Amino acid sequence: MSPNKHEHEALRAILRRAYQERENVEVGDQWQEEVMRRIRELGEIEARPSSLVMFEQLVWRLAPVTCLLILGLTLLLSSFDFISGDDVIQLLMNSTEEITLNQFFGV
Amino acid sequence: MNTDSHSSADTEIVNQVVSGDVNAFERLLKRYQAHVVRIVKKHIPFDKVEEVAQDVFVRTYQSLPTFKGDDGFKQWLSTITIRTCYDFWRKHYRYREIPLSSLSEKHQVWLEEATSNSSSQSFHERDSQKEAREILDWALDKLSPEDRMVLELVYLEGYSIKEAANLLGWSTVNVKVRSFRARKKLHKLIKEMS
Repeated sequence: MSPNKHEHEALRAILRRAYQERENVEVGDQWQEEVMRRIRELGEIEARPSSLVMFEQLVWRLAPVTCLLILGLTLLLSSFDFISGDDVIQLLMNSTEEITLNQFFGV
Repeated sequence: MNTDSHSSADTEIVNQVVSGDVNAFERLLKRYQAHVVRIVKKHIPFDKVEEVAQDVFVRTYQSLPTFKGDDGFKQWLSTITIRTCYDFWRKHYRYREIPLSSLSEKHQVWLEEATSNSSSQSFHERDSQKEAREILDWALDKLSPEDRMVLELVYLEGYSIKEAANLLGWSTVNVKVRSFRARKKLHKLIKEMS
C-alpha cells in the first residue's frame, strides 16, 4: 500500500469512528404526540392520486398509442407524391411561355 | 416476528391508514421511530434531529398512497428518511448566512498527528473523538449537499454505490462520480488544513 493510500485509509478509519459515535438521541412520548398531532391536522389522506400524478399516468398510458400514430402518419405521408415549392417554381421558369399561352387561350 | 410477517403487518396498517384510519399510523410510528432517529442523527445536527425525524413521518404519511410494498415498508421509510435529510441540507445551504468558522490550531495539530503515517497506529489509541467530529463537521460543511450525502453514505457509512443510489433516488453513475469527487474534495480540504 502506498504511503498516501495508507494515510487516507487511516484518516478514513478515524473519521468513520467519529461519525458513528454521534450523540445518542432518544425521542420520547411527547415527540410521538407531536407527530400524531401534525398527522391528525393533515386529516385523512386521499387514496386517489393527485391530478398531476393522474395526468402523468395518462401521458404514459397514451405514449405507445401516440408513437404508433406518428409512425402510421409518417408512412402514410411518405407514400404521397410530394412536389416541393422549389420544383413548382422551376417548372414555371422553364415553361413560362406555355403557361402564359394556356392562360390566354384558356386551354 | 420474522421479516415477512412484519412486512405484511406493515402493509395491512398502511391499507388501514389509506382507507381513513389515521390513528393506525401511530403503530407504524412506534415501530419505526428508533430506526428513523438512528438514520437522522447520523446526517443532521444534534439539535435538529427531532424536527427532521418528525418531518420524515409527516412526509411518510402523505406518501402512503404511493407505497407499493415491493421492498418492504422499512426500506421505503429509509429512502424517505435519507431524502428528507438531503432536503434539510439543501434548505440549510440556501439560507446559510453565517460565514463558516475555521478550525483552531488545536485541530491543526490533531490533523497533523492523524494523517502522519508513522504515528497513525499509536494515534488510534489516544485520539480525541471530539476533535475528529469537529473536523469532520467542518469539512462536511464545506461540501455541497449532494457531495455531503454521498460521502456520508458511501465513505463514512459504507453503503455500496447501488444502495446509496437507491436511497437517494439517483443513478448509480451519478453516485459513483460524486462519491469519487467528494472523497477527493474531503482529502484536499483536510490536506490544506494540516
